[in-house]
Amino acid sequence: MGEYKLLLRHSHDPAYATLDGYQRLGGYEGLRKALSMDRQQVIDEVKTSGLRGRGGAGFPAWIKWNGLPKQKTKPHYLICNADEGEPGTFKDKQLMETCPFLVVEGMTIAAYATQADVGYIYIRGEFVDAARSMRRAIDEAYRAGLLGKNILGAGMDFELHIHTGAGSYECGEESALMSSLMGERGMPRLKFPHAPLPTISGLWDSPTLINNVETYACAPFILSNGGAWYASIGASTKNSRGTKIFSVSGHVRKPGNYEVEFGTPLMELLELAGGMKGGALKACVPGGSSVPILDAEACQKAIIGYEEMMEVGSMVGSGGCMFLNEHTDIVEFIWRTSMFYKDESCGKCTPCREGTRWMFLILDRIKAGQGRPEDLQLLEDVCRQIDGRSFCGLGDAAAWPVAGALKVFRHEFEHYVRHGRSLVARG
Amino acid sequence: MARKTDAPPVNITINGIDLQVPKGELIVESVKRLGLEIPIFCYHPRMKPVGMCRMCLVEVGMKQPDGSVRKMPKPQAACTLPASEGLVIFTDTEQIHKDRKGVLEFLLINHPLDCPICDRGGECPLQNNTLFYGPSTSRFVEMKRHAVKAYPLSKHVTLDLERCIQCGRCVRFTEEISGDAQLAFRHRGAEMQPVTFELEEFTSKFSGNTIEICPVGALTSSHYRFRARPWDLETAPGICTMCSNGCNVWFDRRKGKLVRINGRTNEAVNEEWTCDKGKFGTDWMNNPRRASDVKVRRGDGFSRADWAEAYAEILERFREGGHEVAGLAGPMLSNEDLYLLRRMFDETFGSSNLDHRMTSVQGPAVEPPSFTIEGLEDEKGAFVFGASLSDESPIVYLRLRKAWYRQGARICVATSRPDDADAFAAVSVRYPQGGEAEFLRSLVAELRVQLEGGRSFGELADLASTLLETRGPILATESLWNLDQAGEVLAQLRLAAELLGVSLNVMALGANGQGAEELGVRPDAFDRTGLGTRQILEACADGRIRALWLAGVDPFEAFPDRSLVQRALENVEYLVVQTALETEAAAYASVVLPITAPGESDGSFTNVERRVQAFEKAVDPPAEAKPAWRVFSELMVRAEPRTPHFSAREILAEIAREVPAFQGVEWSAARDGGVLLGARRPLSRARS
Ligand SMILES: Cc1cc2nc3c(=O)[nH]c(=O)nc-3n(C[C@H](O)[C@H](O)[C@H](O)COP(=O)(O)O)c2cc1C
Ligand code: SF4
Ligand code: SF4
Ligand code: FES
Repeated sequence: MGEYKLLLRHSHDPAYATLDGYQRLGGYEGLRKALSMDRQQVIDEVKTSGLRGRGGAGFPAWIKWNGLPKQKTKPHYLICNADEGEPGTFKDKQLMETCPFLVVEGMTIAAYATQADVGYIYIRGEFVDAARSMRRAIDEAYRAGLLGKNILGAGMDFELHIHTGAGSYECGEESALMSSLMGERGMPRLKFPHAPLPTISGLWDSPTLINNVETYACAPFILSNGGAWYASIGASTKNSRGTKIFSVSGHVRKPGNYEVEFGTPLMELLELAGGMKGGALKACVPGGSSVPILDAEACQKAIIGYEEMMEVGSMVGSGGCMFLNEHTDIVEFIWRTSMFYKDESCGKCTPCREGTRWMFLILDRIKAGQGRPEDLQLLEDVCRQIDGRSFCGLGDAAAWPVAGALKVFRHEFEHYVRHGRSLVARG
Repeated sequence: MARKTDAPPVNITINGIDLQVPKGELIVESVKRLGLEIPIFCYHPRMKPVGMCRMCLVEVGMKQPDGSVRKMPKPQAACTLPASEGLVIFTDTEQIHKDRKGVLEFLLINHPLDCPICDRGGECPLQNNTLFYGPSTSRFVEMKRHAVKAYPLSKHVTLDLERCIQCGRCVRFTEEISGDAQLAFRHRGAEMQPVTFELEEFTSKFSGNTIEICPVGALTSSHYRFRARPWDLETAPGICTMCSNGCNVWFDRRKGKLVRINGRTNEAVNEEWTCDKGKFGTDWMNNPRRASDVKVRRGDGFSRADWAEAYAEILERFREGGHEVAGLAGPMLSNEDLYLLRRMFDETFGSSNLDHRMTSVQGPAVEPPSFTIEGLEDEKGAFVFGASLSDESPIVYLRLRKAWYRQGARICVATSRPDDADAFAAVSVRYPQGGEAEFLRSLVAELRVQLEGGRSFGELADLASTLLETRGPILATESLWNLDQAGEVLAQLRLAAELLGVSLNVMALGANGQGAEELGVRPDAFDRTGLGTRQILEACADGRIRALWLAGVDPFEAFPDRSLVQRALENVEYLVVQTALETEAAAYASVVLPITAPGESDGSFTNVERRVQAFEKAVDPPAEAKPAWRVFSELMVRAEPRTPHFSAREILAEIAREVPAFQGVEWSAARDGGVLLGARRPLSRARS
């Protein structure tokens, strides 16, 4: 099926990052179209498109857009989640650096549909270039009357701000992001059914829409070409529509971002990235470090799609796709992954705070050759005691890769605990 | 969490039992209706639920229209889950038992388990939950996390970080209850620690409460640390003596000695809190300067005497002393002490020179306070004038803050200096020291203008309009009698109260200052005329008064004019000092009578909101020390044969009979929650 360049179509053209170039290449048609429709029609268009959140969970975008009160009693807020902390994922970075107006336009469309007054782009602190690019785009949009008061003379007001994070993975979790944005410690907040949905009470207890960078960037295309047109892309899958950008890394010849249509086989993505380097394919983590690992056999069967990927035991996630060759020590790979989660746990809840550290220490001992046969069972139990018991998704995200690897590559762990060293000869 | 609920009822099911609860009630509370308990750590009913520890997980389902139950895939925290129609809760499934074990295993892997030397051992939620729900062994073979073992956060609070289970109760207390936000978490993940910002001193005026709500022995009292095991302790219900708010406390003793003071729950007064003054300001506790013997002056020194000798000498000086004798009463004397003291002065000494007020001037009687501490929560606002409530009336301060925090009450503050209440006050106004009367005159004028539809500009106008919108009680303290123009200040406050149609409350400061007012321990009570404190001291200084009785008060400490006190004590011919400690005044005494200290006797106090609260003896007084009332009773019996009084209870019953405001006050009710005094009726002579 090959690459399907929709969002990234002009990403190699520096002009696309300027307002002139962007508009020349079709930019702001979506917003103009949206402003000529009524709000509900815009939301319906998004519904028709079948767009699902690109931040990891794949939640239908229109449900959130439709969730904000139609009768406004408080300010409405819009947040663009540009924290992109998931190891292996770097698509939002490129989108913001090369296609900043897609994000600005997408957010403005969403603001129109949800009656939002103010938007924030929460950018990961390390993304200096992305923040600079977004800054330039926002400034230009303001100057051209595409942000601020009375946008395009249609009587719509929308202010857009940038906020840069301070280096915490957890701040990409939507409720922790809001805490951080409000100047609090980056810890998650109570969620439904324990508290109202953010669309009712989010930022500063006001209705808030939060979406990922890539999710917003889809909106201009959906509006300019129609939801039905968008839904025709990826129609071979159960319930995934449109394109998805994958950040391909690992032992591949040409690492980078590749945009493909849903329904594309995972192996085609590998082909796009130039195929394996330094050895045959052994495993793939298809959706960012949080999702369960696939062995080569499963990779052969895997189709890119939210449900399709779950059928083979993993997830689309945020699209951070890491291919690993035959010389990869899976135990070491998981050890490094678990170190990340131990470091990034915010500390709020017991299972994640204590469990991530414990998992890491066990893996560290196994890697050092001090593993015991009972450690594998223990690791599985610890994963079970975290998964679904923690306060937010970080705990789950820390448990899945370990539990997944223990299932698929158990023999490598067993070799470690039996012989005190890796099964894999380094090539 | 809310005090009152008018939420509609919803039907829920817990472990197969159907029940109705108010919509939105937290499930952790709903289960209590069935006599069930869900184990918790981070949840505290007086603070917002956070769901941090995950100890309270329950399985949750939703009743479907066809009657079946759809279970949620993940267990949910009961402490954050609000009740809603059709909710089905399971607290006792195999999965939940596993989950509880899992959380406890996690909490214990890095816990030092130094229970044998931990203050909390024996009264520790972590120990208890582990016993009931936890694993019996640990599977953790790695190195435990190490941290500072005894970090002094302040002179009162010592932090043992290794024992901390990161429940956030202490942090949330300083954010939500005391409001000083001095504790915060630093670092993240397994390294997360509750500490003060930049490790500076923990100076909260309410820091001691964090020790009590910490579910482990991480926050400990620097004073009590390692001094007892909970099962060695015996306890008695006490009332704090450090201010007029009357916090209910437990006096804990070990081997006959007081070792700590903990908060005791009384929803109407202190809820469960205390201030640090009450918890740690206990210099009378086991003090080496304790006065424990009866002593009489012989030449330049004292010699020990027995009570009979002392009584004979005292009676010689005081009996029928009339206007030549006087007495000053201290703030910690009980209602029973004060009642008999006044009777003794009336009946045995024939003197009205008796006062308890230690302010610079003694003015005419003020209407008694009519606010209630709990009632502050329902006010739309309050006007704090000239008082630093966080120091002078800490529990009233916490309630006002709560009224703001929970209900958005708009508190107005007018003081001469910056105040803690500024942090949450809707309007804070400063006037220059000495300018109180003038300030109030302008305020009254502005109130009048606004009542007639006008309005000036500036903060005074904001203050006036907020007061007019909120119409909450005016709160001042008796310290206003230290002001130069006290009479005028009071007059203006009364005017303001009248214009606003609100109550004026001049709050007592001493533990039983309000009791002294109610029981007529002032020279103008019962239509008599005697001398007030300042006049008494002046009369002592110039020889008009020849014998002075200091009952539980050291005027050197309490009265603002030191040199007058010195002249008075030097010149008065005969001085009785009834005291628990070797005070400065005791050096001038003709006779020293040791009295009991807090925790050493039964009795009752009347607090700032006129609530009579009884307390019971926790430890024996040392050597000869006696409750003050016993001394008064014995003296009166010696002067004239009559039935002596044998107990504080009996005296309180007599007070209830004789003093109209105390009508209906009973010991047991006074001990269990306290009794608010009725409307003040004119004091009639107690006994003619
Ligand atoms: C630990 C954690 C980290 C997350 N980090 C990110 C992130 O960096 N970027 C992002 O878009 N979503 C992230 N998410 C997902 C968000 O919580 C949220 O689902 C998303 O922003 C919603 O946008 P979408 O519906 O457009 O996907 C994270 C979730 C968790 C649990
Ligand atoms: S799972 Fe718990 S500790 Fe981990 S990041 Fe979420 S709230 Fe923090
Ligand atoms: S010190 Fe105590 S109250 Fe504070 S977080 Fe730790 S365990 Fe909780
Ligand atoms: S008590 Fe519910 S999570 Fe701590």
